[in-house]
Amino acid sequence: MATDTAKRAPASLIFMVLAGLAVLAALFSLTNGAYPLGTSDVVNLLLEPEAAKPAAHMVFFDVRMPRLVLGFLTGAVLAVSGTLLQGLFRNPLADPGLIGVSGGAALAAVSVIVLGGSWLSDWTILTGRWALPLAAFVGSVLTTLVAWRVASRSGSIAVATLLLAGIAINAVAGALTGLLTFYADDSELRSLTFWSMGSLGHASWEDLQVAGPWMLLALLLAPVLAKPLDAFALGESVAGHLGFSVQWVKRATVVLSALGTGAAVAVTGLIGFVGLVVPHLLRQIVGAGHRVLIPASGLAGGVLLVAADSLARVVVAPAELPIGLMMSLLGGPFFLVLLMRMRIGA
Amino acid sequence: MRLTGLLLAALLALPAYAGSASNAGAKGSRIVSADGAVTEILFALGVEDRLVGVDTTSKYPEDVNQLPKVGYLRALPFEGVLSLEPDHLITTEEAEPEQTLQRLEQVGVKVTRLPVAQSPEQTLQRIMAIGELVDREEAAARLAAELQVVFTDIDKKVAARGSAPKVLLLLAAGGHGVSFGGSHTGADALLKAIGATNAVSNIRGYKPASREAIISANPDAIVVAESAPGQFRIADWPELAQLPAWKNGHRYVGDSMMLLSFGPRLAEALVILDGILPEAPTAESTLASRHGD
Repeated sequence: MATDTAKRAPASLIFMVLAGLAVLAALFSLTNGAYPLGTSDVVNLLLEPEAAKPAAHMVFFDVRMPRLVLGFLTGAVLAVSGTLLQGLFRNPLADPGLIGVSGGAALAAVSVIVLGGSWLSDWTILTGRWALPLAAFVGSVLTTLVAWRVASRSGSIAVATLLLAGIAINAVAGALTGLLTFYADDSELRSLTFWSMGSLGHASWEDLQVAGPWMLLALLLAPVLAKPLDAFALGESVAGHLGFSVQWVKRATVVLSALGTGAAVAVTGLIGFVGLVVPHLLRQIVGAGHRVLIPASGLAGGVLLVAADSLARVVVAPAELPIGLMMSLLGGPFFLVLLMRMRIGA
Repeated sequence: MRLTGLLLAALLALPAYAGSASNAGAKGSRIVSADGAVTEILFALGVEDRLVGVDTTSKYPEDVNQLPKVGYLRALPFEGVLSLEPDHLITTEEAEPEQTLQRLEQVGVKVTRLPVAQSPEQTLQRIMAIGELVDREEAAARLAAELQVVFTDIDKKVAARGSAPKVLLLLAAGGHGVSFGGSHTGADALLKAIGATNAVSNIRGYKPASREAIISANPDAIVVAESAPGQFRIADWPELAQLPAWKNGHRYVGDSMMLLSFGPRLAEALVILDGILPEAPTAESTLASRHGD
């Protein structure tokens, strides 16, 4: 990877291309969907909002707009978290799922779906329509915390142990989720299946008000970690010698990833692949330096999710494909081709 | 109050669909049905030409496949449903998400959520309710009366039989194994309707069937509900094939929507299932079940 420095495109060009793609994806997403509301309708709608049909008004302002914003933020947060964690673990296979975020969110969400009417009825009464997203958020942060506690020895944390703890905790969360799935009835089973495939289809401004701040926080603070993570690439002790507080870097990385991803997963369900593939892909293009890699991954992740979501609602219209499914359908083969080309090149 | 609400809804809907449907009331309105049994009833009432879309649980009759599908009734897409410009969405209490239904109402689509039907009486109520919704009260009353004749006949047979045979209902869906239809399911309700007891009433919901449990259940009759024709192959289930009930022909393999959706084909299902029940529990199976205990 270090040898291809010469081939690398300048950062400013990359950002311009990505920003252009973001605008294109946003325009495509706002003008495509099952409801007949194309470019000219959208222009009319924006010029004269009062004259529009109430249905068209709602489709544009209350369905497609929040969907676009939530999709972009979610894609960005997943990709940035993936970048941070791949940097921390110095492992290109790391993604937010690895520290227990998705496992914990899934366990909590499935608990609410299956036990919401019985054991957890107090929780559902207390939290109302936010029962599931709140539980998923708390679940994801809690499992990460447990992984962190397991891996910490007298105040310091071993990165390798954190990784193993994450794997073990994911296994336990997966088993408990499976147990709940077994006891779920027909309707609960289908609800949880759909949740685990992810969806932006039900995005609303309220979702954004609740989850948006956490995602924004993670996105805005992530660049602070660029320099320390660059130092981490040389090894933990080197980073220490360079004057970075190693423990602080680890904690900040895990906290930002868990908060951001937890909030995203809470309102969208499970969306895989973005966190793993986007940083990987961008590293091939912009190099391993986090100063460029973090914002570039964020932009690319947002673009990718918005584009995939636009397709997901068009291909089987008037029905919709779950976005998580769409991501894996598109991302899997693409990633394979990329791997094969890299092997041929080497 | 209600009238004003309807008027208001009609007024709101009018400008939205001025081109497509000038009559936002019940007559001639465009309907999306998000439930297999509801769709069957709409066809039976002869209003299929008003259907502009259905969900993925609507598979019967054949013609339904020509209609646009809006996805699964527990994951209804707002834009997808709205793109069909419906005046009326008819579905059941199982429909989700809540937000989609609310939004549809906000833009002037009438949303009706019928209670889940799990008995012959509720099937009749559902038919009458839909008849009223689509202005086909007479056709609905006629259909209900036809079904009522069959239901009464079945009730008489159940009373005459005296004993309640033990029936095992298996659900074959997705080609991967089969599930027991335990208590608190449509399967259980169906067995109740033909005066049978559920051979696996100790299981709650639909649970994967184990081969041992099939043998120990030793039912008087066996029903296999398939989600698609040919999904169940008896060759894969030797345990089932060696049960006396299966060998003696007290068995039926058929469409799960006909058997379990409590729609207009319920009468057909009840007659078929009543036909496979043994007159009285056979000596052979009583003996075997005693062995099993």
